[in-house]
Amino acid sequence: MTTLAVKKNDMAFCPGCSHGMVLEHLSAALDRMKLTPTDVCIVSDIGCIGISDRYLDSHTFHGLHGRSITYAEGIKRARPDLTVVVLIGDGGCGIGTAHLVHSARRGADITVIVCNNFNFGMTGGQHSATTPVCAQTPTTPNGATDYPFDVCQTVGANGASYVGRFTAFDKDLPQRLETAIRTPGFSLLDTWELCVAYYTERNPLNRKTLSELSDSMELPLGELYNRPRPPHPAEPASRSAISKTTEPSNNRAPITLSWPRRTEFCVAGSAGQRILSAVGVIGKLAVAGGLHAAQSDDFPITVSRGHSVSNLILSDKPIFYTGVDNPELLLVLTEDGVRRVKLWERLSPHALVLAETSLNLPDTPAQIERINCKTAEKLVGKPSAALALLSYAIVRGQWLDENRFRAIAEAGIRGKYREDNLKAIDAGINLAHTGFESA
Amino acid sequence: MREFISGNQAIVRGAIRAGCNFVAGYPITPASSILTEVMGAFAQGTGVVVQTEDEIAAIGQCIGAAMAGAKAMTATSGPGISLYSENIGLAQMGEAPLVIVDCQRMGPATGGATATGDGDVMFARHVTSGSYPIPVLAATDATTAYRLTYEAFNIAERLRTPVILLSSKAIALTRQTVDLEAVKLSKLVERHAAASDTAFQPYHVDQPGGVPDFAPIGGSQRVRFTGSVHDEDGGLTIDRVKIDAKLRRLNTKILGVQHSLELVDEDLDDSADTLIVSYGLADGAVREAVTQARDLGAAVSHLTLYSLWPVPGDALRRAATSSIQRVIVPELNLGLYVEEIRKILPGIEVLSIQRIDGGLIKPQRIVDAMMANHRGGASNERSST
Ligand code: SF4
Ligand SMILES: [Mg+2]
Repeated sequence: MTTLAVKKNDMAFCPGCSHGMVLEHLSAALDRMKLTPTDVCIVSDIGCIGISDRYLDSHTFHGLHGRSITYAEGIKRARPDLTVVVLIGDGGCGIGTAHLVHSARRGADITVIVCNNFNFGMTGGQHSATTPVCAQTPTTPNGATDYPFDVCQTVGANGASYVGRFTAFDKDLPQRLETAIRTPGFSLLDTWELCVAYYTERNPLNRKTLSELSDSMELPLGELYNRPRPPHPAEPASRSAISKTTEPSNNRAPITLSWPRRTEFCVAGSAGQRILSAVGVIGKLAVAGGLHAAQSDDFPITVSRGHSVSNLILSDKPIFYTGVDNPELLLVLTEDGVRRVKLWERLSPHALVLAETSLNLPDTPAQIERINCKTAEKLVGKPSAALALLSYAIVRGQWLDENRFRAIAEAGIRGKYREDNLKAIDAGINLAHTGFESA
Repeated sequence: MREFISGNQAIVRGAIRAGCNFVAGYPITPASSILTEVMGAFAQGTGVVVQTEDEIAAIGQCIGAAMAGAKAMTATSGPGISLYSENIGLAQMGEAPLVIVDCQRMGPATGGATATGDGDVMFARHVTSGSYPIPVLAATDATTAYRLTYEAFNIAERLRTPVILLSSKAIALTRQTVDLEAVKLSKLVERHAAASDTAFQPYHVDQPGGVPDFAPIGGSQRVRFTGSVHDEDGGLTIDRVKIDAKLRRLNTKILGVQHSLELVDEDLDDSADTLIVSYGLADGAVREAVTQARDLGAAVSHLTLYSLWPVPGDALRRAATSSIQRVIVPELNLGLYVEEIRKILPGIEVLSIQRIDGGLIKPQRIVDAMMANHRGGASNERSST
């Protein structure tokens, strides 16, 4: 045997423990497949089976309790050419159930050997997820009452390719293991064992009665699922060179904007008005024009309902502090926006509030002008209205000269929504001339 | 070239710049867009990205991949760091290079998912059992998020250790002007490859504070990785001499080179009587406040800490020039890191400014604290208005 460096009887397991037999079966399977030890990584979970790595000449990985499957999947994703086998106990299957299920769902191309001896051997024989009903353990003094966890059906029902329930005493286990390893996708062998130190001390179980236990638990032995599923598409990982240039192509607009000082804007409305994207468009334009910008948004975690507020700072100098405490422009589109903005009383008398005409506003020292959201919606459609109104506001408040604004928009706006955005900006600039009544 | 990107986008750009080719994550506000950005960035096959069933699987897959040779990163928020905890210890013990991003939110538990804070500065240091050191960096804006992600990879590779990068909601989701090409980065570091002609011992080092040479799981040299205390072969050991050597090395490989891990920005004035020390979210307000205070005629020094653990003691002592009478430390938490600064600078009055309600500390509060100091005798300020 090439992968196993030590004979069963020289291993540290209790005499009569089945773990050593399983290791011999695994090694025999790898021999049958003519794999050299470094073609294989064996990932061991916690418990007595977790000491196996010292007996193996393959790559070995020994991590945390119940998480062996996660490491195995990471290793396999990074090195798709490697054969990756997990040795996990029944305890590990209990604490790590989620990983069993989801690794099976993903079709991770790994093979899981469950060394199932119906109790926690290493910590003193406590009951595990697979302990049979009525079994005596230190933590089930009146007999186990919990329904035993069916590992095989759990992964079988969730996308595993090859699933079988066997015993450590099955002579054909190496062949079964070979089939499991060769089957593309997630494979699992529930391998029933004897823990002679604890379980069989308290419960009448031996190699001959394992099949009776199978009958009484209605958990049949043998091959249960065999339906190869292609693994997730081989992912290139480290095999394809990483591009060192992470910078997009230069799209600097030829126009530069002049901007004498830090200016804070706040746009407040409701979900669905595309306020964040409208502010983002203006921010991007400003950056394309050589300015510094900072955009911070405020919205509830249920994004399609309630307020939607976006703050924008523009400056000719780098912006370090990104808080918006004194906006010079407050563009308010809905009642949600009115309620969310808390700084009405603290606004400067020079600040400009542009508020939808139907809204009742709190007292504020700022100058208030009315706008009409419906007019904007009619002109450019609902999704573009916020950008049209913000463009209107920028020209109305004389922050940008309209010719420069048009030029920088023309040069700086890219992407899928270029035409829509240009149209919205244009409509907003025109509104500043015509006013809302005549529009 | 200037761009308008969020802190999360900047982190992805920094990771790719450092050669990151494996990301596993579980969605959580405000870190989620790191995962979705990576999906786009790796779409051409330059790396592997997976959304896992939970945070435990995310960091688990990263550790597995890192030991198979990948440059791995995972990103989450405080609740996810709690779930990473045990595996961070595994990465420490097994010496897996790994970058972990914590986009902090407000408060413990679910806290404020869309509110900001810097509450994890001590948690990041003491995130796992055993209390062995983990390098921790803290971004202040999108530009430093880019730079520090890159530097985090360099530290992780050089020292074969998990490295935590702290960000926060107000950095993660705020878009800012950046010029990434203009950012000065240190030379790219790759983990030191083991010679192929010698018998490979996965945890062998040449000197006590050394870092083991790396061979990937799956390569031609057999690798043993383990989270149990081990000897140079990666075998479980009960030999006290070997245990002592291994565990002491986990400490000294980081603390022994801590001077080289200090990342700060010094804006010092020889005649200053006030030194402001900032990191994370408070730094932007301090920069504004320092400009304002200097315009008012105040002489003030400012030290930005980009590396928090190990505590950059050299830089702190250097900044506390002989004229410094007091130090002000604004933080978006209950005044946590200020205690570390008090330890480094005994005998100097160190004042704490705090805010924990999800809002930013305003520059004016810092200016007021500086000016109150000039008039003599301000106490620690704990209000959060
Ligand atoms: S305690 Fe049980 S599982 Fe552990 S080695 Fe002994 S017999 Fe095997
Ligand atoms: Mg067991």
